[in-house]
Amino acid sequence: MSFVRNYWLSAVAIVVSAVVFLIPFSFIILMAFKDKTQAQLLDFSWPQGMHLWSNIVEVVTTRNWMLLTAFINSTILTVASVTLVVILSAMVGFVLQRRKTKFNGLIEFLILAGLMLPPAVVPTIWLLQGLGLFGKLHGLVLIEVAYSLPFSILLYRAFIATIPRELDEAAIIDGARPFDVFFRIVLPLLWPVTVTNIVVQSVAIFNDFTNPLYYLPGNANATVQLTLYNFQSQFSTSYNLLFTNIALITIPPLIVFLFFNRQIVAGMTAGAVKG
Amino acid sequence: MTKTTRRTALTGFAAGLLALTALTGASFAQSTTLTYLIPSGADGVAVAEELVKSFEAANPDINIEIETRPGGSEGDNLVKTRLATSSMADVFRYNSGSLFQAINPQQFLVDLTNEPWQADVQDSFKQVVTASDGTVRGAPMGAAMGGGIYYNKAIYAELGLTVPKTWAEFMANNEKIKAAGKVAVVQTYGDTWTSQLFVLADYYNVSAAEPDFAANYTAGTAKFATDKVAQRGFDKLQETFDAGYFNEDFGAAKYDDGLRMVASGEGAHYPMLTFATTAIVASYPDLIDNVGFFAQPGDDAAKNGLTVWMPDGIYIPNTTSNLDAAKKFVAYVASVEGCEAQTRAGGASGPYLINGCTLPADVPPAVTDMLPYFADGGQNGPALEFLSPIKGPALEQITVEVGSGIRPAADGAALYDEDVRKQAQQLGLPGW
Repeated sequence: MSFVRNYWLSAVAIVVSAVVFLIPFSFIILMAFKDKTQAQLLDFSWPQGMHLWSNIVEVVTTRNWMLLTAFINSTILTVASVTLVVILSAMVGFVLQRRKTKFNGLIEFLILAGLMLPPAVVPTIWLLQGLGLFGKLHGLVLIEVAYSLPFSILLYRAFIATIPRELDEAAIIDGARPFDVFFRIVLPLLWPVTVTNIVVQSVAIFNDFTNPLYYLPGNANATVQLTLYNFQSQFSTSYNLLFTNIALITIPPLIVFLFFNRQIVAGMTAGAVKG
Repeated sequence: MTKTTRRTALTGFAAGLLALTALTGASFAQSTTLTYLIPSGADGVAVAEELVKSFEAANPDINIEIETRPGGSEGDNLVKTRLATSSMADVFRYNSGSLFQAINPQQFLVDLTNEPWQADVQDSFKQVVTASDGTVRGAPMGAAMGGGIYYNKAIYAELGLTVPKTWAEFMANNEKIKAAGKVAVVQTYGDTWTSQLFVLADYYNVSAAEPDFAANYTAGTAKFATDKVAQRGFDKLQETFDAGYFNEDFGAAKYDDGLRMVASGEGAHYPMLTFATTAIVASYPDLIDNVGFFAQPGDDAAKNGLTVWMPDGIYIPNTTSNLDAAKKFVAYVASVEGCEAQTRAGGASGPYLINGCTLPADVPPAVTDMLPYFADGGQNGPALEFLSPIKGPALEQITVEVGSGIRPAADGAALYDEDVRKQAQQLGLPGW
């Protein structure tokens, strides 16, 4: 009896999260096993026959192995953008928090403006064309960095406020130069919020659809989310291939998260316990 | 110590990736390659690949790369963005008719009026890719489509029904199908756009009775609510709902469900555009011989005719750097070899708009059923959206209401007139 009393809430939580996470995922997997005719029903049923391998082959080889190009592009895009965002926003957050000047108000206003104002597509493309960066992967990296910076800066600034200033001062007394203070003292202490940042931003950037669509035209530049459109159109959709594609592009992030699971949880709780 | 080395390694890895982005960016500049932008979707891509393959065989010095884009309003935005930023592909496929007018063809597209192949393009298509200054700026890509009603031949054979020529015959057929315990009319309001077919496909009947309806409609003097003939489309939708002919899940069913139901005999009729034939062939190849097609019947059997939708066009933006090669490709698409390549890849879904193009003998019955309307003595006419720039954006919501019994037909027609008025005012048409 006391067992039920103690654990019923946990049981409910487990059931709810299973419904929310596992059912959609199993739907994707089941759909990936079906042939086209059965998949067209879009229902939750057991696949007739085993078509997973032929679906995978077709998805991967479609449009001249576009999915492989897309994986390479998405990986480069995500890793490069997240690396830059983390380093740049930690630096900005550090300076904003530690050094009070009369420009702080203006800078904070600009950061908030970056969060609130919707970016306009056509002028951004003009700017990129002027810089010779349009339709190039590093151009899109800069765009993703620009769009993600404000949120990351806010996260870092709030977190740096909890790091005692005495630590910096001790380092300076010991002869550390400004860059040493940042890279050797502050940045390691930021690990918890950095992990949060990496998780949030890499999910957002890996899943980004509209920015690559507008800023990165061309087959050689496809990212994984754009490959979904190979199998989907207004009038005729191949659901078996679409869901196989979804499964394939969901698995790499999943593997990464399984791998780094311990570090991610450790990072997040390290931040939580301190407070 | 290991921690520092790991950090160094990580930094190096990140730096390497950054360097790689710079490298991948540099390797694109190619000069003899054309790009061809098409809406995504397996069927469209297959047709484009076959066209490109046979074109490249004939022109070994030109290499064409196919790019895809989303359809629908996301695709409209993308096309407009790329035109406005001079980053459009060398050749692209896009809708004809009112959407073509919306991309400002005079400013952005190459004038193709004097190309020699225009002589073989049918005039009915030319008028839907003509810019406001009278120049033709596109070539037909794909086959003409009809708006009408798909029917299940097995059910017709089983109940001994004949293809209806008038609305009364159609309703009589429905009554018999319902009496036999089957679904007479399939409706799929889960995809709202499918609800418009009864109204849009009725336009041939309107124009047969009132040939100048389109002109008066554009001028603001003819309205759906006040013109009894035009309002029939809304009435027909309401009549079929009131008689209880619809499938039980009509409010939630999707377009794909509708195709399945009419192909497998779960439903007898499905009002749709004939591009669906290609989708049925792809999803239900065994059932395609069960599917037939007829034009939406009017009130007079002698005036039975088909409402026709024009296919997409292909266009060249004037920012292209390979104009001659692009023109060669467009000329190829608009030739008899071009039609043949399209048929090879996608099967034939209807007649082409190039003189001299023929269809193979083994086309699906739904296509064969369409051909008499285009042959001598057959009757067809373009849909209203190709004759008038005004199409109210809320029509699909209104027809869902009428088709679900929420709003009577007369009310729906009046509400649509109101919707159309806003659209006409936005376009700045005189008389509104």
